[in-house]
Amino acid sequence: MSKFAQFVIGPAGSGKSTYCSTIQQHCDTIGRTVHVVNLDPAAEHFNYPVSIDIRDLISLEDAMEEMEYGPNGGLVFCMEYLIQNMDWLHEQLGDFSEDYLIFDCPGQIELYSHIPVMRTLVDHLQQWGYRLCAVYLIDSIFITDSTKFISGALTCLSAMVQLELPHINILTKCDLVQRKALSRFFDPDIGQLVEELNDETHGNFVALNRAIGQLLEEYSMVSFLPFNIKDTESVEAVLSHVDHAIQWGEDKEVHIPHDHEPDLDGTEFEHQGD
Amino acid sequence: MADESVAPPPSVSSSKPTCCIVIGMAGSGKTVLVQRLTTYVQENNLPSYVLNLDPAVKKLPYGANIDIRDTVDYKEVMKQYQLGPNGGILTSLNLFATRFDQVMNFVEKRADSLKHIFLDTPGQIEIFTWSASGAIITETLASSIPTVLVFVIDTPRTSSPITFMSNMMYACSIMYKTKLPLIIAFNKTDIMSHEFALNWIRDFDSFEVALNQEKSYMSTLTRSMSFALDEFYKNIRCVGISAVTGEGMDDFFAAVASATEEYNRVYRPHLQARIQARQQQQQEQQAQDLERLSEDLKQSKGERVIVSQRRRGALEDELDDQDAEGEEQEEEEEEIDEEEKREYEELMQYLRSRDNAAS
Repeated sequence: MSKFAQFVIGPAGSGKSTYCSTIQQHCDTIGRTVHVVNLDPAAEHFNYPVSIDIRDLISLEDAMEEMEYGPNGGLVFCMEYLIQNMDWLHEQLGDFSEDYLIFDCPGQIELYSHIPVMRTLVDHLQQWGYRLCAVYLIDSIFITDSTKFISGALTCLSAMVQLELPHINILTKCDLVQRKALSRFFDPDIGQLVEELNDETHGNFVALNRAIGQLLEEYSMVSFLPFNIKDTESVEAVLSHVDHAIQWGEDKEVHIPHDHEPDLDGTEFEHQGD
Repeated sequence: MADESVAPPPSVSSSKPTCCIVIGMAGSGKTVLVQRLTTYVQENNLPSYVLNLDPAVKKLPYGANIDIRDTVDYKEVMKQYQLGPNGGILTSLNLFATRFDQVMNFVEKRADSLKHIFLDTPGQIEIFTWSASGAIITETLASSIPTVLVFVIDTPRTSSPITFMSNMMYACSIMYKTKLPLIIAFNKTDIMSHEFALNWIRDFDSFEVALNQEKSYMSTLTRSMSFALDEFYKNIRCVGISAVTGEGMDDFFAAVASATEEYNRVYRPHLQARIQARQQQQQEQQAQDLERLSEDLKQSKGERVIVSQRRRGALEDELDDQDAEGEEQEEEEEEIDEEEKREYEELMQYLRSRDNAAS
């Protein structure tokens, strides 16, 4: 049986930890078991129960103090230390071998596009039989116009090409922005987008705008899902997209047949009637 | 009346210095590059100004004219706001950005006598590229002095085609975000020559060959991406440098000069057009407001009035826009009213005709 996990990535402050806790709570309410793994050695406060914590292995503070590194070098050291101690992670994961996992990853883009640590980690997890989906978060506050949108889409692509995982892009903090302004980016009309780009940028960019437009059109994966922590529907939609990407639930459905649920409800109602 | 208040768009004279914002991934050698740049300008008698925006750097190998560490202590920020190192750096930069107008005053005072301004940014690239304060600092600079971006790349670490493409995608993303001329500086050429990168940039086919050697299931995606990047390369300048040995510095400054020229020729008019458009929009809004006010005054004949009927209508419209469902309901109600009226009239007509027939 394969194991399932989400790999939550995105720039610092994009809301990764909030995403993890929201999904975790949502799953809790619907009676699904989910465990969150913290991979950020610099994290300090959690608003979700941490099942596996990289800080049990190494914390950024220790690395900074003992190795006399700055925050950057310290982080890289921590992640490389994790790669050297993959047995530790494997052992820890063993306790949750039947469960759906969410990896809360550190935000530094360097770890994805500069140093191969994240790639190595993903390869290991896949060897251990995990089906992974990368969830890339972007703060919707920064997506104010079409150039910013393209900029965001390109950073997603930059991570996508490195990790080679099924990929889902999410705009977080949708409760803080006007939905109207954002909604055109959820499933963008490429032709219109390219025209807007031509307005926003100067003449030299026309050919590039078109080329990027084509790229986005060919690979419709660069679309975004809204994520609003106050809207259960958006949480559900995101979760089901991720589940679909890693094909979670295809073998589970046998255990929780949907047909039985109305019956259960029916009997309950009968009891209430009595 | 409104025309009197037209403010001239911020003038950008070409005699002003060029501001180089040095960005790059952690460990790509930004700080060493800035150090090399400062020695180069000293040797060549080019008066320059150096700004350090990295609050977490422990030792600066160069003398910065303005140093974020003089104003904000990021360790103290971490303690006071209970933040991790990342949050500490970001908050320090935010605090600094709120005072950036003062920095601009310093810079503008010296502007006429300077040739270059160098900006060293925090180690983690997103803290500058994906933050509000980074955007504020970039836009403030770009709106008053010619500004170019220098994206520093660790050459030995991009020798794999996939990493190379990932880096180029990121560079392209930054170019779209800032809308400024971009120079890609392939650093550390003393360890590994950047020839391979230039080859890939110049020759599409050679990159294809390199890609084919990689085992990657996303090969069709990477191929389409490299096709898009081919257009990107036409908009950028690439130089190979070694911050350690000083190799390629002449090329670098030549690229800065040509990027400045491009800024003045292409980017500045575009930027000004956008600023003007924004100002015009504001002026129109102001003119409308004034008109409304004078109308209110006329109607009230000098008496006190709070909100004119028209303004109130507009306000209500705005409220309705926000609550589109409510609006729809109202429309429906209106329709029902009209329908009732029509039915009532028809009934009356029928009654009248029946009365007539009876009589």
